[in-house]
Amino acid sequence: MDRLLVIWIASLAQESPDGSTLRDYLALLDALSVLCPFTEPVRLGLFVLPVRGPSRFFGGEEAVLEAVRQTVRDVVGEEPLLGVADGLFCSELAARAGVVVGVGLTERFRRAQPLDVLGRKDLATTCRRLGLHTVGAFADLEPARVAERFNTHATQLHRVARGELSELAGQRDARLAARLRQLRGADDVHDEQIGFFGQRGAGDDRAQAAAHRVRRRLGLDAVVVAALCGGRGPQDRATLVPWGSPESVARDDAPWPGQLHAPSPATTLVHPVAIELRDAADQPVRMGSRGFLSAAPTTLLLSRYARRDVVWHAGPWPSVERWWAVQRRRAHLQLVLATGEAVLLVAESSRWWLVGIYD
Amino acid sequence: MTASGYSYEHMFAFSTKRPTLPDDLVATLRPVALATSRRLPLGEPWRTLVPGGGLRRGSTVVVQAPPGSGGLSLALSLVSEASTRGHWAAVVGVDDPGVVAIADLGVDLRRVLFVPRPRGAWAESAADLLDGVDLVVVRPPSRAAYGAARKLMDRVRERSIVLIVLCEPSAPWPLPADLSFDVTRSQWITSSRLDARYLTVRVAGRGEAARSAEHVVVLPNRRGRAATS
Repeated sequence: MDRLLVIWIASLAQESPDGSTLRDYLALLDALSVLCPFTEPVRLGLFVLPVRGPSRFFGGEEAVLEAVRQTVRDVVGEEPLLGVADGLFCSELAARAGVVVGVGLTERFRRAQPLDVLGRKDLATTCRRLGLHTVGAFADLEPARVAERFNTHATQLHRVARGELSELAGQRDARLAARLRQLRGADDVHDEQIGFFGQRGAGDDRAQAAAHRVRRRLGLDAVVVAALCGGRGPQDRATLVPWGSPESVARDDAPWPGQLHAPSPATTLVHPVAIELRDAADQPVRMGSRGFLSAAPTTLLLSRYARRDVVWHAGPWPSVERWWAVQRRRAHLQLVLATGEAVLLVAESSRWWLVGIYD
Repeated sequence: MTASGYSYEHMFAFSTKRPTLPDDLVATLRPVALATSRRLPLGEPWRTLVPGGGLRRGSTVVVQAPPGSGGLSLALSLVSEASTRGHWAAVVGVDDPGVVAIADLGVDLRRVLFVPRPRGAWAESAADLLDGVDLVVVRPPSRAAYGAARKLMDRVRERSIVLIVLCEPSAPWPLPADLSFDVTRSQWITSSRLDARYLTVRVAGRGEAARSAEHVVVLPNRRGRAATS
């Protein structure tokens, strides 16, 4: 579970009829995104951001809390309630209490809470009659016993109480992100996007009707449209979204150091295939931590029986991504096979993956 | 001629001289062309290699290539010029389209519909799309049945759009095509990375495009585009 900072602003929790709350909420989201780009809107009045990365940047959790408090005061003019703990459920509780739960103490913090925090009055009452007053006492019940006595809601809550789930079912407002996008003006009023089609003409209407027919035949996500976004590998730069979903605001105009040059594989596998590389001595080829191959690859094993000879390779080109959070180390490798085919491989989590075919 | 009998002659008497049009307007006028004789534009290098310099509407184009030897890139390079000129295209049966490569080829992604996994209904999906787009690229998952191919080609002729079929030599298209591209050889040029690929393509056709010729094209080149060698 990630260590999260929850920001609770009481005055932004109530929806106002003129929409001013939502506008203030959006303004604050933009301001907080400057501090940490991973700030998420949870529901009105509530933001969450991962605290590990920013605290390294700002120099400690206290510094992050101070920066966030200052930002909220500047934008909304109100003192926020802040809390830090593991997982959204516990960090919201921490925020309501205004405390920072120490590293590794979230479990004890959660178990000490009264049962009402799970948000079900009936469950809390029943448990109190059984002599269970805290989340910890409820968590100690056997999952099978809970499933026997209560409904599926309670089993979900029990998993939250045990720490197997990090958040309650209704804790996030699922519609909030779409509403904020709409407020930004990125979306059209209709759910059906217009942006992909640009200025509309008769041809666009015909294409729309044709796409509708295919969707009726094959299902809602059968027709997809593609767009480019930022990224290093060709598989990162492609966005395929079902036709009719709102237009994404991502653009591909920022420079990406370490981006793979053209030509790009004409087939980019959505689900990479795990493969094996062998050298001349039939030993697996590995990539060392300094980005060198243990030996030149001579054979590619798609499965035990499908072997292809490798006649040329280039790379690996390592890239270390998101070193501040969940670190991602990978490297791209290009191969030409004896059959004349060229493929793109990626080394990740000490395996080789086939991600593209230069068809 | 009586008092009541007007002469209406002057109403029908019009000058046989053509009206004078401003020069800048004349420059934009196109001759009347029927849909069947119209061609969809082709980009480099195909403009000079394909008879007529374009894809005739209502025709079926077959691109045949061994797996992994550039058939998909070739088929999409035929789409790119028409797509940038505002024509819609659909790609049916290409499971994992390489979006970056397709964009590099010059295809305008805003006007391409992908149907990646049509399951058994590739012919039906393609037929559905015929009414809405100007080019349909279709890759049948296996050897196409004669009846389905016949029906699809008839619909294409009737709707006067262009069908581009992508198939492998092991599962050829069961009917003769109006224009066919056969990849006979593919060769990668490498430096410290993959640089370019030389494709040897046999272009053949029917009617005015009857003579067949072999050409070498660069597809893709260092910028991911199609080019003359």
